[in-house]
Amino acid sequence: MTRYYSSTEVVALIDDLTEPRLTAYLRASIVEPVATPDGPGFRETDVARLQLLCDLDENYTLPEESLKMVMGLIDQLNAMRGDMRALMRAVASEPDEVRSRIHSSIRVLRG
Amino acid sequence: MAGDPYAALGVKKTATEAEVKAAYRKIAKADHPDLNPDPAAAERFKAAAAAYDLLKDPEQRRRFDAGEIDDQGQERPQRRYYRDHAEAADNPYARSYGFENDADMGDVFSDLFGRRGAAGRAGAEGRGFEGFAQSGQQRDFHMRGQDHRFTLQVDFMTAAKGGKTRITLPDGNDLEVTIPKGAQDGQTIRLKEKGGAGLGKGGPGDAYLTLTVAPDPQFRREGDDIFLTLPITLAEAVLGGKVATPTIDGPVNLTIPKGATTGQKLRLRGRGVNGGDQQVELKIVMPPKVDPELEAFMESWRKSHDYDPRIGMKYGS
Repeated sequence: MTRYYSSTEVVALIDDLTEPRLTAYLRASIVEPVATPDGPGFRETDVARLQLLCDLDENYTLPEESLKMVMGLIDQLNAMRGDMRALMRAVASEPDEVRSRIHSSIRVLRG
Repeated sequence: MAGDPYAALGVKKTATEAEVKAAYRKIAKADHPDLNPDPAAAERFKAAAAAYDLLKDPEQRRRFDAGEIDDQGQERPQRRYYRDHAEAADNPYARSYGFENDADMGDVFSDLFGRRGAAGRAGAEGRGFEGFAQSGQQRDFHMRGQDHRFTLQVDFMTAAKGGKTRITLPDGNDLEVTIPKGAQDGQTIRLKEKGGAGLGKGGPGDAYLTLTVAPDPQFRREGDDIFLTLPITLAEAVLGGKVATPTIDGPVNLTIPKGATTGQKLRLRGRGVNGGDQQVELKIVMPPKVDPELEAFMESWRKSHDYDPRIGMKYGS
């Protein structure tokens, strides 16, 4: 069973997070906690995401719309990184001959 | 953070609160681990964040300057980094980055990274992959259909020579499957887009058939080579001669050398699968009944020609 943090808990946990700020993120669907009978339940991922949102908010003073766009790009990048990591791990476990063929094709395609 | 928090932020001890904050922001912008993948940057950011946590509170800063507390400050909750969560395959915020619908690479991409698993798990919590609303609009939900896996038994000859067979899919549809020549036991055949139906614009999944090759009463196969045990008569063994031998492509005359013996192996080149050979192991079979004529002949033959095939054998104690 995953542990969920309540709104009060996440606000206490993250220095820069305030109630109004959390409400704004929720309204803009930048963070999407799990719906529970006791209100929104925040997973570890949500807490880490909120921390990053606060950092971006504080350091770049980004308006909500830009924050949403930046998070969208970060999400794409992270999904890609995770996939790339899996792909590299798979390639790495292939025999020398296969890896060298992949290496040559990439050289042809990417110079 | 080890050492001087002022050094970590690159400010003087006399820096104002605003200068401390500005210094921290500058480092955070350049070195935030969620934005800069360089591990050295992450270290700089961690040191700066810890230093800033200590110095941003005037009372704490005063106590640190007076030597009342060390640079570890007070207990801080563990800082979380989004990237540690976000790369995980089941991250609910994972976003497509555009290969799914790529004309050339879409199939390859879906095969490798199709997000069925992630969508399924997130869906179980009442939130699907589609949950990320963009500008207030729900994104359409597209999901490639499920891949279906079956095991299909094919007879020895179909596997060796190739052929067609029909299967019935779970949805009741019949499908003709082409078994490639030389199909191996355990080999998987992919039937493109014969899997489960997709959702939205997601195409159907694929069906994968894992073949099991049924054994044959007379032939055996290893890779491209066929093995056969060929029974021969006593006379054929003694005198040699041509014997019609079964191969996967029909009978072939095999020349048995004079004095052939059980266990002797002969090769029929190119009579296996895909240019492999057929190896024939001879096995001398006695006549069903030893008649008096044979018995008499053997009696007299033995008197002058007896031999010991067990020469050199160890009998143990």
